[in-house]
Amino acid sequence: MSMKHRMTSWIAAACMALPLTGMAVTAEPVMIGLIYPTPVADVGWAKQLDLAREAVEEAYGDRVTTRVVENIPEGPDAGRVMNQLVADGAKFVVLGSFGYMNDGLRLAQRSPDVDFIHASGFRQTENLGTFTARSYEGFYLTGMAAGMVTESNTIGIVAAFAIPEVIAEVNSIALAARKENPDVNIRIVWVNTWFDPAREQEAARALISQGADVVFSLHQDTPSVVNVAQAEGVYVVNTGSDMSAHGPDAVLGSVVTDWNSYFVEAVGKSLDGEFTGYDERGGLASGMVSVAAWNDALTEEQMGRIEEVEAALRSGEVHVFAGPLNDQSGTERVAEGEVLPDPEIFGMDWLVEGLSGSLPQ
Amino acid sequence: MGTTLAFLLSGTLLAATPLLLAAIGELIVERSGILNLSIEGMMALGAVVGFATIMATGSHWLALGAGGTAGVALSVLFAGVVLLALGNQVATGIAVGILGLGLSGLIGKSYEGMTVAPMKRMPIPVLSEIPIIGPGLFNHSLLVYLAPLLAVGLWWMLRSTRIGLVIRAVGESPESAHAIGYSVLMTRFLAIMVGGFMAGLAGAFIATVSATLWSDGLIAGRGWIVVALVVFATWRVDRLVIGAYLFGLATIAELLVQGMGISVPSQLLTSIPYIATIIAISILSMDSRKMRLNSPASLGRTYNSTA
Repeated sequence: MSMKHRMTSWIAAACMALPLTGMAVTAEPVMIGLIYPTPVADVGWAKQLDLAREAVEEAYGDRVTTRVVENIPEGPDAGRVMNQLVADGAKFVVLGSFGYMNDGLRLAQRSPDVDFIHASGFRQTENLGTFTARSYEGFYLTGMAAGMVTESNTIGIVAAFAIPEVIAEVNSIALAARKENPDVNIRIVWVNTWFDPAREQEAARALISQGADVVFSLHQDTPSVVNVAQAEGVYVVNTGSDMSAHGPDAVLGSVVTDWNSYFVEAVGKSLDGEFTGYDERGGLASGMVSVAAWNDALTEEQMGRIEEVEAALRSGEVHVFAGPLNDQSGTERVAEGEVLPDPEIFGMDWLVEGLSGSLPQ
Repeated sequence: MGTTLAFLLSGTLLAATPLLLAAIGELIVERSGILNLSIEGMMALGAVVGFATIMATGSHWLALGAGGTAGVALSVLFAGVVLLALGNQVATGIAVGILGLGLSGLIGKSYEGMTVAPMKRMPIPVLSEIPIIGPGLFNHSLLVYLAPLLAVGLWWMLRSTRIGLVIRAVGESPESAHAIGYSVLMTRFLAIMVGGFMAGLAGAFIATVSATLWSDGLIAGRGWIVVALVVFATWRVDRLVIGAYLFGLATIAELLVQGMGISVPSQLLTSIPYIATIIAISILSMDSRKMRLNSPASLGRTYNSTA
């Protein structure tokens, strides 16, 4: 957008703000708006986003103010809320959920003087960037651990929605667990919701009743599944933040995402007027993804193997989706000696060979 | 296989119990001629108040009682608007429900994502020893056994007692009930209180007995399922019980089928309980005469006793 347009809208906004505040326009802090799909709790997805918000406030102090709107379901409400944030003067907007994409893209087009970053999205524009963690790398490590500790040779996965990000995680778990333990049988339940703790628990209990002694809680924002695992005496791996306080014996490891440095960087670019919509994908190497709260039940030898693979993933020497790799139907997806390119990882719509069940299309 | 079948039974009971509890309350309310659409909000408020109580006292029974009381408190507001201010029942129910949801989020802010210990189970002697069926049906907390007994009590009350007759009379024709000297407002007020208590109790059950955690959005639409269940049951208690357990069974069976790795799209499985409800309601409503016979004639109509 032209500099002129940017100036006029800025002046217009300042003029509108002037009579209200009666303050000089020079030191006006830049408002950053954030929309989360779920409530901010002690732990979980929204909590991690909010930690990054705090990091931004810490980094830029008086230059920014932040406004959070939490627990906004994907749908018409989200569109209304983000429009309101921009109408209220937000100059940088964090869209904290995949499903905000269409409304976000439309709003970004209409508001060229506002910068946006969108979680898990795959479409970037001039002023809308996307960010995704390579959580599948963390799930590869915990998948190894699951393959090591399972005695029933059954691993259960409670998965939120079959979007590419989650599918990649399921595949990653399956590849790692089978490599450790070829007899492992993997059961998946798609709960088709981001947020229904009671249903997530029912899914976890169903999997445990079918023999699973390690359960993966993929993108559940509350310790719902962790709580069940602790009560039923099985292991659990959860997403987002360290939930070991809710399952001290049960948590085998927590795959943690850390957005802090990315948010600080993106906001910094926006403040300097240098933001363009780019795609940020961080994994183990950048620290955006890590595994916390490894369970003491893992022996030193087992941890050693996991750390070895972690180092290799960090250095890029090993890749989670390296060929040869077949899908459920036996069709080759990645040839020997090749690795799956990023667009295909983040557009994954197939399960690896040997997994049962079908993907919601 | 044994544990899976046992879970199918126990999971069904656990999922159906809060639905049945709240639906029993809603059925009484609707039989008195009032449509209360705020069940979702009442359940949410009951859930958070129950959770706060258990955090403070550690007692499940106090938590359940407090949850029910919270439902009653919200019901007083609902009753005031629809009975005294003669507000539209649909609009009022939705508004009060939204208020309940909002309040629950506000009160629950500091409890977000916290967990509590599950309620002590009360295995029924001898019966709980039976393989599969024992752990499935006879090893639960007291309320799980109590819910169907309450339903039987409700059936008996509506059918054979004076108070049941008064509730039905008020629901069929408030004018006639008023003419022969019954207080329409008092009957409906009490019915709404009972409905609110049961909804709050159901919410507290989810927060402190089945899910044992609080999070904003915990009820996740179950209050609306309750409203649908009452229509599904065509206001009959026997069908209400069947409907609640069938719904519970469908939600649990769906998860087990997915876990078995059968190649059916999971969205389809997820929607089966809802599709089944729609089909059942459609079939039942096809016979409009029967539908009219069962539904309380004054349901949803504003009644002005002073007019």
